[in-house]
Amino acid sequence: MSYHFGRGWAKWTPYLLLLPGLFFYFLIALGPSMATAVYSFTDATGIKGAPVHWVGFDNYREFLFMGRASVDNLDALKRTLIFCFIVTFVQFGLGLFVALIVNQNLKGTNVFRTIYFMPVILGVVIQGLMWSLFLYPLGGPVAKLLSLFGVRSEFLGGQPAEAFAWVTFIQIWANMGITMMIFIAGLQTIPSELYEAARIDGANSWQIFRNITWPLLTPSVNTNLLLNVIGSLQAWQLFYVLVGYRNGTQVLGYLIFATGFGQTSGSVTTSFRQGYAAAASIILFLLVLVIGMTTQYILQRREARILE
Amino acid sequence: MNLSFLKRMSLRRIPWGKVGSYAVMIFFALLYVGPLFMLVNTSLKTMPSFMKDATSLASELHFENFIEAWNKANFSKYLLNSVIYTVSATTIYVITAVFVAFPVARGYIKYSGAILTLFVIALFLPPALIPQFQLMLRLGLYNTPIGYIMLFIVNPVGIVILVNYIKTIPRELDEAAALDGCGYFRFVWSIVIPLIQPAIATVVVMHAIGIWNEVIAPTIYLTNKNYYPITRGLIVFQGVYGSNWPTLAAAVLLLTLPMLVLFLFLQRYIVSGLTAGSVKG
Repeated sequence: MSYHFGRGWAKWTPYLLLLPGLFFYFLIALGPSMATAVYSFTDATGIKGAPVHWVGFDNYREFLFMGRASVDNLDALKRTLIFCFIVTFVQFGLGLFVALIVNQNLKGTNVFRTIYFMPVILGVVIQGLMWSLFLYPLGGPVAKLLSLFGVRSEFLGGQPAEAFAWVTFIQIWANMGITMMIFIAGLQTIPSELYEAARIDGANSWQIFRNITWPLLTPSVNTNLLLNVIGSLQAWQLFYVLVGYRNGTQVLGYLIFATGFGQTSGSVTTSFRQGYAAAASIILFLLVLVIGMTTQYILQRREARILE
Repeated sequence: MNLSFLKRMSLRRIPWGKVGSYAVMIFFALLYVGPLFMLVNTSLKTMPSFMKDATSLASELHFENFIEAWNKANFSKYLLNSVIYTVSATTIYVITAVFVAFPVARGYIKYSGAILTLFVIALFLPPALIPQFQLMLRLGLYNTPIGYIMLFIVNPVGIVILVNYIKTIPRELDEAAALDGCGYFRFVWSIVIPLIQPAIATVVVMHAIGIWNEVIAPTIYLTNKNYYPITRGLIVFQGVYGSNWPTLAAAVLLLTLPMLVLFLFLQRYIVSGLTAGSVKG
């Protein structure tokens, strides 16, 4: 690792130029991230100059065990897990299915790829508003379609479970394109000779998928599963845009934001309880850590088995 | 026998696989284009005709919705804010990131490996939301454009992408340049940066789209209407005009169209930027 650009003082130039980037990183990302744990043991508020006290594990105790609020919190936790489970698997399955179809040597597949990826660049606000309109309950397109089958729905304004289901659907709709693109990149690394050889040997499409595509796609499978698990545990922005803070629909990420920065919506009002919100952040972090590590562990064992 | 064989082959030629593939692709495409089409159609209608039948095709084209949306939503101001935030934060970020990534990739500084690990770790740490807010409050940067920009001058994924790309550039180049008397700063600035342009484009696009689409940070940090970026402006506009869908749809479209055009031109970088999360795995 010899350094060529001068001796003596000149040797320190790289350090000097690296400093701003490293400093900002510590100041804005790494420092605050670690400080979350410290804040979770205090009663900090978002009000400037207000005194801050050390409260030990009170925030955690309150979050998990105290009164009506803790029941709501545990519901939100459960809902986060359900959201994560459905989004991860449906997005993974659809992404793979669509990638396989779009990756064929057919005309126009590029256009379709572009179309499926589109929502990713539009961002949650546009995604959300688009779907609010598409799910317009008074004679919007989806409402009309459902009425053909005699189904009536209030969509995002309906029962909490119904609103939750629609947000889950839109979350998958919005991000399926990323999963698909990662799979396409993986599919394109598989040498076509393998397919030709298999076809000459008389293998059918399912056998080819099972014995060639699926095992060789392992890196993209791992990446997608891990990204989906971690991403969906932390995602809540679409809930914010589509339904707001409503009892019966919150997930943990939204709960952290609402308790930390105050949200009033309908019957629910929260105040600036940042220590409490930090404790909730740590609980979410532990959830991400445990589920993420477990996923990683399972994936690695699977990979080792395939390589055998 | 030969003939019947040929016959069977020609029957098989009806490419069911192909037909099925197109059917699936078109089904999904409708799911994606449908909401966009509804947006366009609604934006061209009048409020009474929308109330009467939300899904009927616009019979006359009412472009005045767009003018109304533009004027009432204070869009020019919000758009300008969004551009300022996105451009300045991305510029600062990319420049500082290159000067972190290059010496780390080359091992020109002590503990390069440890520094890189520090950046990778961030992807797994708890959200920084609360302490970040406390920090901004204490620095007096709450509700200021500078503070808002500061939030976005960090992005560990980009550093990892740059490091990986710089590693593919031959080391001999450094030696040759140094022999010719080129200094460190000039080398990175005028030789390395042009060489790693594809990686820089990816990082820029990924980072810029993230800032442009951010909706939570402005809700937390900016209370002054004059500082709102366009995402926040749109949410506020929805709060006021929520039931007037033709105007709201026009407002949403005014934002969607430029993004779509940009997407078509920069597709390659956008896709590689947004799927670059895969380096996390």
